[in-house]
Amino acid sequence: MRSLLNFLERYNNLIIFLILEGIGIYLLATRNYYHNTRVVNVIRWVTYGVEEKISNTRNYLNLRQINENLAAENTALRNSINRLARNNNSVFFSVSDTIYQQLYQYTTARLTSNSVNKQKNFFTINKGTRHGITNDMAVIADGGVAGAIVGCSENFAVVMSVLNLDFRLSARIKSNGYFGSLSWDGRDYRKAILSDIPQHVTLSIGDTIETTGYSAIFPEGVLVGTVIDFQKPGSDFYSITVLLTTDFRKLHFVDVVANKRKQEFIELENQIQ
Amino acid sequence: MINSLLRFGLIFIILVILQVLMFNNIQFSGYVNPYVYIMFILLLPVEIPSWLLLMLSFGTGMVIDFYSGSPGMHSTATVLAGFVRPFILRSNSPRDGYEPGAQPSMLTYGFRWFLLYAGIMILVHHTLLFYIEVFRFADFFRTLLRVLLSSLFTLTFVLIIEFYRKGR
Repeated sequence: MRSLLNFLERYNNLIIFLILEGIGIYLLATRNYYHNTRVVNVIRWVTYGVEEKISNTRNYLNLRQINENLAAENTALRNSINRLARNNNSVFFSVSDTIYQQLYQYTTARLTSNSVNKQKNFFTINKGTRHGITNDMAVIADGGVAGAIVGCSENFAVVMSVLNLDFRLSARIKSNGYFGSLSWDGRDYRKAILSDIPQHVTLSIGDTIETTGYSAIFPEGVLVGTVIDFQKPGSDFYSITVLLTTDFRKLHFVDVVANKRKQEFIELENQIQ
Repeated sequence: MINSLLRFGLIFIILVILQVLMFNNIQFSGYVNPYVYIMFILLLPVEIPSWLLLMLSFGTGMVIDFYSGSPGMHSTATVLAGFVRPFILRSNSPRDGYEPGAQPSMLTYGFRWFLLYAGIMILVHHTLLFYIEVFRFADFFRTLLRVLLSSLFTLTFVLIIEFYRKGR
């Protein structure tokens, strides 16, 4: 206490000086428009560099979160496209249409395991029955086919990849509509074989292959790949090599597509058969 | 006591009126802005307590700020002048020291002493004042020229007033 008083006594001039100068500078910086601007500018200039660095680092660290958000947003947008896109073959529809229902529902999922080097490849995703995933749903990645759900637990689902010898997909040539069956021959993870296209069809390298809507699994018009080679073996059909759109080696996020009318479709087909 | 209070009050009022009505309106190519009101700080008694000196400096600056519409500018500079005044007086003391109750005037200590004392004080005050006014280090030498020219003019006016006081 005594030393504090001594200190105050010794430096009281300096203290008063500093207080008064503080008041002066405070008035200067707050009451004068010009000086205020200058002070704010200098502070901004000093903090700007630091803030930019922090923000850059934070962005980098949050990239995973950002990616997941973007994937979720894509799914939401796809859903809203499906909600908004009207049936093009119905000429009349009321504005508040209760009959029209969303046909496909998309759910985003992340891969938890993947393989491309076996003959029968499967991958696992982190969504399951709890998220409304059931067997025989289509899995697409960035607009290209990826596989179909073959088994699901509460939180996970196993997807049969296109790169599986047992996988069959109904696919067509976009330009002329001829459809065939797509399968994988077990060799190159980028290439699949499209068969059952008759030889009278004109084909050219680079033709787009897309899904048909015939299976009730895949929506119509999902990209499969492009023609890179075709041969005419002895039979009546081409053997077309398709470069797959989806690169299975860098698959991270996929969309699971649920066809809401699949049940109805299958029941009807079963009635007839 | 009352007498000196009245005297310094009068000096203060005269200097403020001079400053506000006359010197604030001098526009001489933008380089010369004399601030003669600092003379009030110069003339206060040698033995005035430091805290009172600082308070008076701040008050003087605030009054000038009030009339110039520049809060904080003159008070900051004047408080610095009040703070350094004891040091200047000490380092510039006459051979046999200051007498009790002495006033720092030309009459008592001579022209050379007063010139040095007033010159340093005015220079300190004007330097801070002008650099605070532009508030940037761009145009450093232009501001320095303004400081020197304005200090010279202020010093001239202060000496003239002091001569007049001496003659009275």
